[in-house]
Amino acid sequence: MTAATTSARVPVTPGRSPVLRALSRPELGSVIGAVVIAAFFATQTDQFATSAGIANVLDVTATLGIMAVAVALLMIGGEFDLSAGVLTASTGLVTALLVDQLGVNIWEGIAWSLLFALTVGFLNGILVTRTRLPSFIVTLGTFFALQGVNVGVTKQLTDTVQVGGVDDAQGYAAARAVFASAATIGDGEFRVAILWWIVVAVLATLLLVRTKFGNWIFASGGAPASARSVGVPVGRTKILLFMTTATAAWLVGTISVVRLTSVQANVGLGEEFNYIIAAVIGGCLLTGGVGSAIGASIGALIYGMTQQGIVFAQWDNDWFPLFLGGMLLAAVLINTVVVRRRAEDSPG
Amino acid sequence: MTGRGTWSALVAAAALIVAGCTAGSRSTANTESAVESLSLPESATATRPSEGDPDRRLTFAVVTHGTAGDPFWDVVKTGAEDAGEASNAEIDYLSDPEPGSQAQLIASATSSGVDGLIVSMADPDALQESIASAIEAGIPVVTINAGEERSAEFGALTHVGQSAASAGEGAGNRLRDAGVTTLLCVIHEAGNVALEERCQGAARGVGGAEQGEDVRTLQVNASNIVETETTIASELQADPEIDGVLTLNPAVAVAAATAIDTSGSSATLATFEFNADVLQAIRDGQLLFAVDPQQYLQGYLPVVFLALYARNGNVVGGGQAVPTGPRYITQDNVDIVEDPASIGTR
Amino acid sequence: MKPELHPIDDIQAALDGEGDNLPESDVPPHTPLLEVRGLGKRYGGVTALQGINATVNSGEVTCVLGDNGAGKSTLIKILSGVVSYDQGQYLVAGKRVKFSSPRQALDRGIATVFQDLAVVPLMSIWRNFFLGSEPTRGFWPFRRLDVEHAQDVTVAELARFGLDVQDPHQPVGTLSGGERQCVAIARAVYFGARVLILDEPTASLGVKQAGMVIRHVVQARERGLGVIFITHNPRHAYPVGDRFIMLNHGAMVANVTREDIDLNDLTQLMSGGADLDELAHEVQEHHRGPAGAWKPG
Repeated sequence: MTAATTSARVPVTPGRSPVLRALSRPELGSVIGAVVIAAFFATQTDQFATSAGIANVLDVTATLGIMAVAVALLMIGGEFDLSAGVLTASTGLVTALLVDQLGVNIWEGIAWSLLFALTVGFLNGILVTRTRLPSFIVTLGTFFALQGVNVGVTKQLTDTVQVGGVDDAQGYAAARAVFASAATIGDGEFRVAILWWIVVAVLATLLLVRTKFGNWIFASGGAPASARSVGVPVGRTKILLFMTTATAAWLVGTISVVRLTSVQANVGLGEEFNYIIAAVIGGCLLTGGVGSAIGASIGALIYGMTQQGIVFAQWDNDWFPLFLGGMLLAAVLINTVVVRRRAEDSPG
Repeated sequence: MTGRGTWSALVAAAALIVAGCTAGSRSTANTESAVESLSLPESATATRPSEGDPDRRLTFAVVTHGTAGDPFWDVVKTGAEDAGEASNAEIDYLSDPEPGSQAQLIASATSSGVDGLIVSMADPDALQESIASAIEAGIPVVTINAGEERSAEFGALTHVGQSAASAGEGAGNRLRDAGVTTLLCVIHEAGNVALEERCQGAARGVGGAEQGEDVRTLQVNASNIVETETTIASELQADPEIDGVLTLNPAVAVAAATAIDTSGSSATLATFEFNADVLQAIRDGQLLFAVDPQQYLQGYLPVVFLALYARNGNVVGGGQAVPTGPRYITQDNVDIVEDPASIGTR
Repeated sequence: MKPELHPIDDIQAALDGEGDNLPESDVPPHTPLLEVRGLGKRYGGVTALQGINATVNSGEVTCVLGDNGAGKSTLIKILSGVVSYDQGQYLVAGKRVKFSSPRQALDRGIATVFQDLAVVPLMSIWRNFFLGSEPTRGFWPFRRLDVEHAQDVTVAELARFGLDVQDPHQPVGTLSGGERQCVAIARAVYFGARVLILDEPTASLGVKQAGMVIRHVVQARERGLGVIFITHNPRHAYPVGDRFIMLNHGAMVANVTREDIDLNDLTQLMSGGADLDELAHEVQEHHRGPAGAWKPG
């Protein structure tokens, strides 16, 4: 390239300044929200800012956070998974049934459970990408199917709708150390699930911003046709994302079943909405292409802080869903405005 | 009296909105399959008690507001099926937590000409019309579980169940006798009248007064047991005066036992309903007692009553409600119930 | 289809002085890169395309003209691997091919920039530039995007096309329509495209923006690429085209070189001569006659 051409260069249409762009980061709103909520409950209640209080908040946040991060990746990729909540019960049931009915080592049960989760995720992904139906409908189908399988199979095998006896399994002590141990700091019992959550959030962040696959996730959700035309395997990306949420559901199901030592066939229903709420509060766009794993984690933290904070404040916690709904609507509005600013104000 | 159906209904509703509501709703689909699954008796119109062959196989429809997989309603279903076997009756068990859909299920059972109808009335007003047309069609109705106060008014033969308020009051009395002055009542399903009644009853039982100012209620999410456990622990930390906890569901009871442990509280714990873990907790002294509504009887007895009515014209108790509980399971009698619980009849 | 009435001079002016400083291509000019013989495609009982014969040479711009529904988009979809053909032959560098995905076409050096689908608006310029062909470094499981390299290359490559990007993190959505097309073209050229298919790149752009895109078409040609330029606007095609293929109702109605035709003939041919005459007549009537004389029916 010679100087002649260089001089003929035209500056491109300028975007927003880096400072303004930082202000339109998807997770910014949630960070501000989290700080305000934490400050509020820390000053208004005696328990919130104690180590016991923090332990309780993080306990609720951790498992929700693991799911919210995985669901956020899927939402950035432009899809939903309504079966994720029920799958946390299914994976726990697979482990518990294998351990309780066949007497297998708990690690073997956990391994089969992972295989089961991956299969469900793969089926969700294949169905969505092959049929081109909205994932909302496809995973709604999986949601009901799994709900039926959970209850039907459990009842068939145990005559009840609950499986217990997980703590009698071989290898339980080691599994408990990995999935359900706790460290006491001050008065608070901090669960190992918190570490899992942090690990999942960090890995997901690196995946999103520092890998090829992360690039594909954003492109698959943001403009699937464009992505396909430059050779991004959009279908495969989405299938892998469904398998990622299924794996997260397996992790949460395993943490729960090891911790509680039993699992009821009808748990997990409705939890999928909390995952989506946390992801949206954290800046995920319902139309895909925008979001972050850190944001989803903060969304989960907002859920945990508020849910426990209301109890600490001795308010009637019947009102918690109202607050959650308000947060969700506010987040959706903020996200929409931010994205419009980010991309749609292109001049000319 | 539990049922996590609200969410399923919400999911279905949301999906329909998104799908543009082109097809029929889930409940309609249920109703259609219900019509198919109901086998028509030989003489579809002759359902008067004295008519027909006394050895004829009868068909009864059990229509409840339970959700599939709810442990409580599974036992009711088993009770009804066992009684059907004993009384030479076909049992069609149908359920939908949505009152409107439950009314549709009753209507389709009526139109297929069953010999008797067993209905749980969580929302009596919503079912009034469909029950009235069943009775008009000559089908005898027995109400179970909920709706005792409206049962006779609707023209049911009798009601089989446990009054939530009196059972709650009984539980409250027992807790007061154990020294509880400030009780936390944990509700796991928002807006369920029966659960609220249990808590109000317990309030009267503990306080001995009508108001029950010494009872706090706490809303938890039974779909997420880990969250439930932490929420109860937070409440106990926030209010150290609480010295008694009453849960209304066995899974929540187990979570509460752990929460009492981790929060360092010394509260006395009792629960409605039970499972194997609750029995173990009673044995270990973590739980004072479990209120057993004996829901097996809520399935079993009405089938027997309807069979006797159809074949012999009998009406038990002259139409008065037949209480199936409460039976209190404590450390003293826990071993008696241990066995049936594991095969789904308690 | 309304004819665009801006003067062709604007486009021509935009082209002056371009392409003088570009590096030599590795392919000698006027070498056949891609060829179709009797190409056809049916959807059920409907013939979307039939009997297409054409050759795309290196260093030449082949314009595909035709009205909406003439079969242009079916032809592009076949060439770019989005759909498969069912009649005739498709040869790339002399070998018969039948693509089942755009990726396969890309691997054979055939890159397509679809109208409005060129880029992912919410993603940054550098992520868009490398989308689908991201540079990585390190070994699995530590393999990661080579972000610095990607950003440097993006800035340098766009500079070669005359675009000065200050901040490669800028979302592509904030660029103008013409700039977005240029990012897509620069990307295709950087990733070794031999044949560049441009689907209506100037549709919905103003004169200035269209001129910018056409300038890049010329640059791509000067770099030795075979360019297939799909448009319904002969005024955009004529200044850059070496060869013109006209489609109508799924069939090829003309295949001529620039020497054989002038802009008027091209416009005439493209719109179907009679239709255009009629249109010109009506426009003249409208301008000449008194206001009251122009009444509908």
